[in-house]
Amino acid sequence: MAKLEIKNLHVAIEDHEILKGVNLTVNSGEVHAIMGPNGTGKSTLASALMGHPKYQITSGEVYLDGENLLEMEVDERARAGLFLAMQYPAEVPGVTNSDFMRSALKATSGKEIGLFDFALHYEKVVEELKMRPDLAHRYLNEGFSGGERKRNEILQLKVIRPKFAILDEIDSGLDIDALKVVGANVSELVDDKFGCILITHYQRILDHIKPTFVHIMIDGQIVLSGGQELIHKIDQGGYEWIKDELGIDFVEETDTP
Amino acid sequence: MNTIVIAGSQASKPLPFNLTFDQDTLYIPANSHLEEPFKVTVKRQSNTLLSIVVGAHSTVKIILEIADSALDQSMYRVHLTALENSHVKYLFISEINSEEGTLDHRFTVEKHASIDLVGGFISNILTAKMHVDLVGEGADVKMRTVAVSSDEHNQTIDVMIVHKAPHTYGDMTNIGIANKKGRITLNGVEQIEKGMKQANAFQNLKGIITSDDAMIAVNPILLIDEFDVKAGHGATIGKIEEEVLFYLRSRGLTKGEAERLVINGFLRPVVDEIEDETLKARFVNVVNARI
Repeated sequence: MAKLEIKNLHVAIEDHEILKGVNLTVNSGEVHAIMGPNGTGKSTLASALMGHPKYQITSGEVYLDGENLLEMEVDERARAGLFLAMQYPAEVPGVTNSDFMRSALKATSGKEIGLFDFALHYEKVVEELKMRPDLAHRYLNEGFSGGERKRNEILQLKVIRPKFAILDEIDSGLDIDALKVVGANVSELVDDKFGCILITHYQRILDHIKPTFVHIMIDGQIVLSGGQELIHKIDQGGYEWIKDELGIDFVEETDTP
Repeated sequence: MNTIVIAGSQASKPLPFNLTFDQDTLYIPANSHLEEPFKVTVKRQSNTLLSIVVGAHSTVKIILEIADSALDQSMYRVHLTALENSHVKYLFISEINSEEGTLDHRFTVEKHASIDLVGGFISNILTAKMHVDLVGEGADVKMRTVAVSSDEHNQTIDVMIVHKAPHTYGDMTNIGIANKKGRITLNGVEQIEKGMKQANAFQNLKGIITSDDAMIAVNPILLIDEFDVKAGHGATIGKIEEEVLFYLRSRGLTKGEAERLVINGFLRPVVDEIEDETLKARFVNVVNARI
């Protein structure tokens, strides 16, 4: 049983406040979907939790199993059990997926993994994600299609096996078949040792990964939390109804930042 | 692997493959076809000189190693000649700790001969010259060098290829890596003299710095005095992208481990060209010891 607690988190980019007090507790075994219009701070939450240097935490606390996450370096957070599946994973020329993955696994597990055992395991996961069999020897994300990059993020998640994963718009760039594969693979991971935050703009990924809780984020705050009934409401009426229901006003940005 | 140690104008005996050594010159006989590489280790004297001459129609793989841990002034002069129609694969590793080191390495490539060079410079304070003369028609040189400068070290590396015959081919890729307060100046010059038709000259200089105090300057220069040629050049310098470091660190790698992985990826095109696995490992280790 693991616990990720986010308390009154405020985050700014270049002195412009994006998150204005986010509260969220995620236990292992749970999937929390965070939905909301573009530009309301969903991806900021993801990057700030992982420790991206561009974001300044102005106040608030985050604990992973009681340990203060905000005092940790990016890599310490990863070794403590946090994982971020990125919206735009970087390309790293000359570094093969398997070399990278072996180093990452060694770093997060603290154990030396034999080449043969690793190769067998990696091959199996590549198959489970229905990826090209030569993936191990290709350079990390170099020349990958949008969909391949996203699958590669999930592949890394499956190899590393963190306590908590934040999946930042993992559905963008995936066609319907890929969405199914990714959905099934993530759903399988959820157990009493693993929980997940799913950030998405659309409901379609949630057909494949059933959330325990659904949160709606608007203007840097979670304004509404509930169950799967919220997904249906957003599907039907977008986010406009929230304005009336909660009496708040917002303008949806046209581009994802 | 056969190793020849050169110290005080003497070569260790016996010399393999019918090689001979006389007056600071190591001769590889004509028509030698050596599948196995052999290694030449040069020990320092006050003014170290070495010539290597590869005989006509020979095919050889040579590793030249200078490993000098002394800190005082040092001077190395090396000259590799590939005679007509010979083909040389050449791995050159210099590890010089001198506070004032000079390395002057010349290459002469005769008619239809080729030199395929991979070089690594791991040094404290070094001024190095790599000068290639393509003197015979159809002479061909391909060189890839890697320079690593760490701590407060400073390296100036001048690489020059001169096309003195028509139908010659010269291709250089030079990579500089500077970390901490390291400095590197990389000057790449390729010159095609008048009348040397159908010459090909390509150069690519790359610099990567891993700290705000490191410095790299690259100067790619083409001097062409003939119309009927092909030539191209490019240069890039940069820090490791913040997004890349964040990505790798988000998977648990420390900043140092992430930088090391990126730099090794950067070097991969060079390292992959070293066929011999032992040498490849040696090259990678020497470079990684400083990054």
